[in-house]
Amino acid sequence: MDAQTHPSRAIAIQSVNAVARQHTVTAIAALFLLLIMFSAYLGWSATHTVDAIYKAAAQYLSAQNQPVPPNPVLQSSPLGLLRNMATYVSLLGSLAALVIGHQLIASDRKAGVLPLMGTRPLRGSNYALGKIGALSVVLGGLIVFAALVSAATFLLLPAFTLGTDEWLRLVGFFGTSYLYMMVFGLLGLAFTARLKSETVGLLVPLVFWLTLTFVLPQITSNVNPVAALNPVSALANPPDAGFFVFTGSVLEPFSLAEAYRLMAARLLHFLPSEYTIRDVVPPIVSLAGACAALAGFAWSALTRLNFAQGDYNG
Amino acid sequence: MADFPSPILTIARKDIGDAARDKFVLIVSAFLITAAMVALVVGAIALKTDVATYESAKQALLDLGKSANVIAKPEFYPLKLLRGFLEHIEILGAVIAILIGYRAAASERGRQTLALILTRPVSKHRFLLAKMLGGLTLIALGLTSAFVIGALALNLVSGVVLGPMDYVRLLTIDLLAILYSAIFFMLGFGTALWAKKLPNALLLAFTVWLGFVLIAPQIGDTMDPDNQVAGGVFRQLHMTKPQEHAVMAGFATYETIRNGIEISSPTKHFERLAFAITGVKTMYTGQPLGPILVEKLSDIEWLLGGALLMFGLVLAVPLDPNRLAKE
Repeated sequence: MDAQTHPSRAIAIQSVNAVARQHTVTAIAALFLLLIMFSAYLGWSATHTVDAIYKAAAQYLSAQNQPVPPNPVLQSSPLGLLRNMATYVSLLGSLAALVIGHQLIASDRKAGVLPLMGTRPLRGSNYALGKIGALSVVLGGLIVFAALVSAATFLLLPAFTLGTDEWLRLVGFFGTSYLYMMVFGLLGLAFTARLKSETVGLLVPLVFWLTLTFVLPQITSNVNPVAALNPVSALANPPDAGFFVFTGSVLEPFSLAEAYRLMAARLLHFLPSEYTIRDVVPPIVSLAGACAALAGFAWSALTRLNFAQGDYNG
Repeated sequence: MADFPSPILTIARKDIGDAARDKFVLIVSAFLITAAMVALVVGAIALKTDVATYESAKQALLDLGKSANVIAKPEFYPLKLLRGFLEHIEILGAVIAILIGYRAAASERGRQTLALILTRPVSKHRFLLAKMLGGLTLIALGLTSAFVIGALALNLVSGVVLGPMDYVRLLTIDLLAILYSAIFFMLGFGTALWAKKLPNALLLAFTVWLGFVLIAPQIGDTMDPDNQVAGGVFRQLHMTKPQEHAVMAGFATYETIRNGIEISSPTKHFERLAFAITGVKTMYTGQPLGPILVEKLSDIEWLLGGALLMFGLVLAVPLDPNRLAKE
């Protein structure tokens, strides 16, 4: 009965189940979740090693009668332990979201069920709402899992205790990560609905992903592509040149990967002290604006999807 | 009969002709070249800014009657400007190689011609060799174009005319980039031949790409203690290089594990080679090419080994013509 009274809900439930059955999607999502768990360990291990190096260096400097600077580990917030998570969300989480968004539509188009849906008393808006709802639920599940892993890490490591402000920051970080992943999920959803070929429908959002992750940060901040892999070196001040002032002011609002990394670094307290925040447009506004614009694009693409001719084989 | 070209050349030539017509390779190569040029120009602008800052600081010191030796002059070595360019080849070049490999198999599956070809007197191995020859030629053309355009742009943006040895270095990196891309070409080609569903093949190839190109280097990079603290842990501790080596001697096992993770990635081997040859890695700046190649022989062997492994896999895995329809 429920399915009859709420067609959007029925579509959302069916879509979530269908996506969960697809091996490639589950493989990428599993890889993301595995890395999320690993990143917590990696953060702890790297912090622990820097602490051990500091102790060895302090001993060495003392033996040479040289002054011993303060321990950099003690100067950082325990939240910085999760800095790698920001990298995995920006690299893999966004890609997983894109693939999930793509598969939510591609599976229907491949299975040839669109004409069947067209014969039912179903409006395009029901379909769009169901698919966007399914995307929100699947990505929400991934983020909740990541949040639980992080919370467990802090609860299990008594050396790293969080205060109320820090727990709130953690919630803010996962909220921002969700928003960022939704941007790419909606991108996948929209282009797969809009384009005629399945492969092109996957490749076009992939090109957007590559451009946002590796090319735009270079133009706005001179961040080399490989630097994007490191949460700390991805946050470099651009050279003091007119070119970067110009590109920063024009392109920074669209440089979503940079906006996400900056938000993550501020929330998790690993923003380098010498980093100058330009905030032409606050990063959260950039991310929310992109999410809203892409939700509109996805809505338009999904509501205009022709049920009679929407199949790949049609 | 001897006048007829071998089926290998015929199939490879047909694939190259198809690629020229549908402009796919042209478009993806243009994307790579654009990204690489952006990196080059941005790098040059950043260097010019450093030089201008140095000149103004030097002038200020001289005006105060002080020596300008207290500030370090920005190092200028034109090939170093290729850093971002090379990093784009590491990341985007590998993606493009996967796409070209994927399309080499997908085109036959899409047109349902694969099973038909295998009914002809063309052995499976000859067919695969032909497809690989065609695809690798396309990759070589795309990458060489990128390097030629890069070299021309380097002359322009650096304001220095490159010498013959610089071109030899660029040619060496071009060949290494082709070898590196061949690994990913065969990954895209192989998965598209073996997978039951084509889009799944593309996703699987991208998952492997993620693991080797982004994740393994990321883990290695994160484990580098110097990358954990902004500016570097030893710089924060005001320690010199020899002091750093003395302290790190006690962390040899940790460093071995870190290096082990990094060397599992062909990307890291290409990067180490390319950064040494261009002098991006400061310790190799200005060193002659021969000794660098000798020192980096193991990286070349890793790349060669990876390409041969993938080549062997593509040839060894049996093809089932009956299953090789579009989906």
